[in-house]
Amino acid sequence: MVGGVLVTQPAKAADSSLVIGSVLDIDKTDPHTATNFATVRGLGLVYGSLIEIGARNAIKGGLASSWLFSKDGTQLTLNLREGVKFHDGSTFDAEDAKASLERILDTKTGAAARANIATITSITAKGRQLVLKMSIPNAPILAALEGVNMAMLSKADIDAGKIGGANKPNGTGPYKFVSWEPTQSLKLTANPDYFMGEPKIKDVTIRVIPTEASILSALNAGTIGMGIITDPLIARQVKSNLKMFKTPALAYYALQLNNKVAPFTDKNVRLAIQCAIDREELVKTALLGEGQVTGPITSPAFRSDANARPCPKQDLAKAKEYLTAAGKASGVTFKALVTSTGWATSVAMAQNLKAQLAKANITMDLDIVEQATYVPRWLAADFTATLANNGGRIDPDTMYTRYFTSTGNLNKVASYSSSTLDANFIKGKASGKVADRKSAYTAISKELEDNAVWVWLATPYEYRVATKKLRGFSALANGSLLQLRSATLG
Amino acid sequence: MRFLSRVASVLTTLFGISVFVFIVLRVIPGDTITSSLGIETGVLTPEQIQTLREYYGIDKPLIGQYFSWITSFLSGDLGFSYSTGAPVWDLTKPALLVTAQLALFGTILGVLMGISVGMFSARKPGSARDFAGQFFGLLALAVPGFVLSTTIVTVMANRFQYFPNGYEYMTPFEDLSMNLQQMLFPSLVLGIAVAAPVMRTTRSALLETVDKDFIRTAYGKGVKPRIVRLRHILRNSLIPIVTMTGIQFGYLLGGAVIVEKIFALPGMGRQILDAINKREYATVQSSIMVFAVLFVTINIVTDWVYRKVDPRIK
Repeated sequence: MVGGVLVTQPAKAADSSLVIGSVLDIDKTDPHTATNFATVRGLGLVYGSLIEIGARNAIKGGLASSWLFSKDGTQLTLNLREGVKFHDGSTFDAEDAKASLERILDTKTGAAARANIATITSITAKGRQLVLKMSIPNAPILAALEGVNMAMLSKADIDAGKIGGANKPNGTGPYKFVSWEPTQSLKLTANPDYFMGEPKIKDVTIRVIPTEASILSALNAGTIGMGIITDPLIARQVKSNLKMFKTPALAYYALQLNNKVAPFTDKNVRLAIQCAIDREELVKTALLGEGQVTGPITSPAFRSDANARPCPKQDLAKAKEYLTAAGKASGVTFKALVTSTGWATSVAMAQNLKAQLAKANITMDLDIVEQATYVPRWLAADFTATLANNGGRIDPDTMYTRYFTSTGNLNKVASYSSSTLDANFIKGKASGKVADRKSAYTAISKELEDNAVWVWLATPYEYRVATKKLRGFSALANGSLLQLRSATLG
Repeated sequence: MRFLSRVASVLTTLFGISVFVFIVLRVIPGDTITSSLGIETGVLTPEQIQTLREYYGIDKPLIGQYFSWITSFLSGDLGFSYSTGAPVWDLTKPALLVTAQLALFGTILGVLMGISVGMFSARKPGSARDFAGQFFGLLALAVPGFVLSTTIVTVMANRFQYFPNGYEYMTPFEDLSMNLQQMLFPSLVLGIAVAAPVMRTTRSALLETVDKDFIRTAYGKGVKPRIVRLRHILRNSLIPIVTMTGIQFGYLLGGAVIVEKIFALPGMGRQILDAINKREYATVQSSIMVFAVLFVTINIVTDWVYRKVDPRIK
C-alpha cells in the first residue's frame, strides 16, 4: 500500500519466466536484414546459425557440427548437425542451409551481411553436408557464418516468401516466437525440440522500457528479471541486490578523420590530433571509467596493441611539432559530426575531446545531430571528422575489409586505402591459423595508426543486469543473449 | 453560413497540417532504408537500395506519394508499417486509447488540483495561503515533467519496490486495477503540469468576479458564502478556466511523449517518436493527422462548452 491509493501488487513472474527490459524494440522479423541491436538480440534466440561464438569468443559449431577447408582454402565443407528441427516441426537439412545462404547472396534480399560471404561462388547440398566454393582462399568465412544475419531458414518458407513482415518467425533456436507487439514486447517460449535440450527458462519476454533509468527501477522493484544497459552512468548505479554481467564489447569508439578533406589530407594534422588526445582521460571522465583504451582491432584473437601507436599517451609537444610540420603552428579548426542519440555518452565524449584538443591549439567545433540524420551523412562521408561508435566483429576480416580495402563498400566513409592494406587483407584471408593471420592484421593495424587514418579511442562494455536468481548465464562480447538457453532462475 | 465558414476553416487547417508534415518528413535527412539498416546501408549495392526503395514506396515522385497517402487516409486506410508488418490503424487504435486515457486522467487531476488551489488562493489575496497557492503554481510550472517522472519512478522503485509500469501494459478492459496503477503516476505528473496554469487562471478569474455587483447582491441576500463561491463566483469564472483546460488538454496529447517514455506506456507519443526515428512516413503522417483531427475536435467541443456555460456566446 502506497499513499493509500494503490490496490494490489501483481504477482511476480514465475521462476520459469524471464522478463528482459530493453530500451529498443525489435524493428523487423527478417533475420537477414536485421541490423538494429535489439532485433539481432531478440531474433538470436529464435534463429540458429551454422557457426556460433562461444565463451571467450571462440568460434564453435552451431547447426554445423564440424567443418573442413580444402588445402587451397577455396572450399569449405560443413557437416550439419543431425536431429535439428525448425519450430514448425520440419527437419533442418542441407537444402535449407543452401537456400538460406542463397537468399543472403541474392541482392534483392538486401541482406546486411551479404558482403561477408560475397566470395562464395557456388553452394552444394550433399546429404548432411554443405559445400561452399569461394573465388579466393577465405578462412574468415567461418566467422562470417555466425549470427542472426546468417540465420538458417526453412527452404519451404523461403520458397513461399514467408520471411519477415507479418509471417511468424520459424527458426531452429532455443526459443519459439509467440508474439510481437510493436513498441511493447516480444514474447518467446522454450523450444522443446532444441538440439541442446529444452531451455530451463520456459518463457522469455523482451519488454520495451524506453529509458535505462526506468529499466533499473523495474529491476529494483523486481518487475523484470534482466535489463539491457548501455549507459555507464546507469550501470554504475547498479547495487549489490542485482547481478551485473559485464564484458568488453567488440564495438569501438573512434574519431573518424576524413582523409580526403582538408585539413586531414595532411597526415601531420591527423597525427597531431592523435597525439593531442588522452584516451585514458576520455575513458575516466566521459565514460566514467567504463571502457578500455583500444587500437583498431577489437577481435579478441587479433586485438591491436594500443601502446604500439604513435603517441600512445597524450603528448602535446609532439602534437605541436606535427602541426608545425603541417605549416599550421597557429592551430587548426575543424567540425566534427556527432550523434546526439546514437549512444548514451556520445555528446559527453565529444565535449571531452574538444576540451583536450583545445590544449594543442586544435579547435573542434561540434555539429550535433540526431541519429537518423547522422547515418545518411556518415554514409555519404559528409563530414570532416566524426565521432563514431562502430560495430566490431569476432574476425578482423569481416570487421575491416569493407572499410579499408580499395573496393570495400564503406571505403568512401573510411577515406583511406592502399595497396599494402589490400595485400595484407588478402594475406589475412589465406590461412585458417590464427598465428599465420596475426602478422597480417598487426601490419594492418600499424599502417592505420602510423598514418592516423582515424583516431581509435576506446571500447565500451556490454552490460546485462539481472536478478540474483539468474544462474548459468554469461554475457558475450557480441551482445547475444544465446546463453539463456543454459540458464536457470531460482 | 457561420457553420460552413467554421467547417472550411477546419478543413483548411487539416490540409495545411497534412502538407506540412509530409514536406517536413521529406526534408529531414535520412529515409526508411538508412533508418532501418543504419550504417549497414553502406554495404548495399545500388540495385539492392533501389529494390528497397520500391518496397517501401519511396521511389515514386513526391506528389504521387502525397496523393497516394492522403486519398488512402481519407478513405480510412492509414497506411502500412513495414517494420512491424501491421496496418498503421492497428498500431494507432490501442496507442490512441492509452494517450487519450492518460490525457483525460491528467486533465481531470489537473483541473481538480488547479481549481481547488486557485479557489484556496483567491479566498484571501495577499495572505499566506495565497502565497502558498501561488508558490504551488510556480513550482508546478518550473519542475519539468521528466524530472518529476524520474524522481517518482526512482523513489517508488528503490524505496517501495513498486513500479507497476515494469509489468506488461494492461488496458482497462483487461485488468482495471493494474491499468489504474499504471496510469496513476503518469497522470499525476501530467496533472501537475495542467494544474499550474489552471490554478493561475482560476485565481485571477475568481478575483475578477468576486468584485462584481451580483456577488455583493448575493451576499446581501444572505446566501451562504459556500454557495456564493461555488454557484455564483466559480460558475461565472468558468469561461477562462474552460479555455485554459481545452488548450492544456491539447498540449497534453503532445506533452505526453516524455511521460509515456519514462513510464513505459505504449501511447501515441511513443509511437510517433519511434516512427520518426525509423522514418516510417505513413505511420508518422497518419498518426499526426489523427492527433490533428482530435485537436480540432477538442476545440469545437470547447466552443460548444462555452455556449453551454455562458448562453450569451453565440
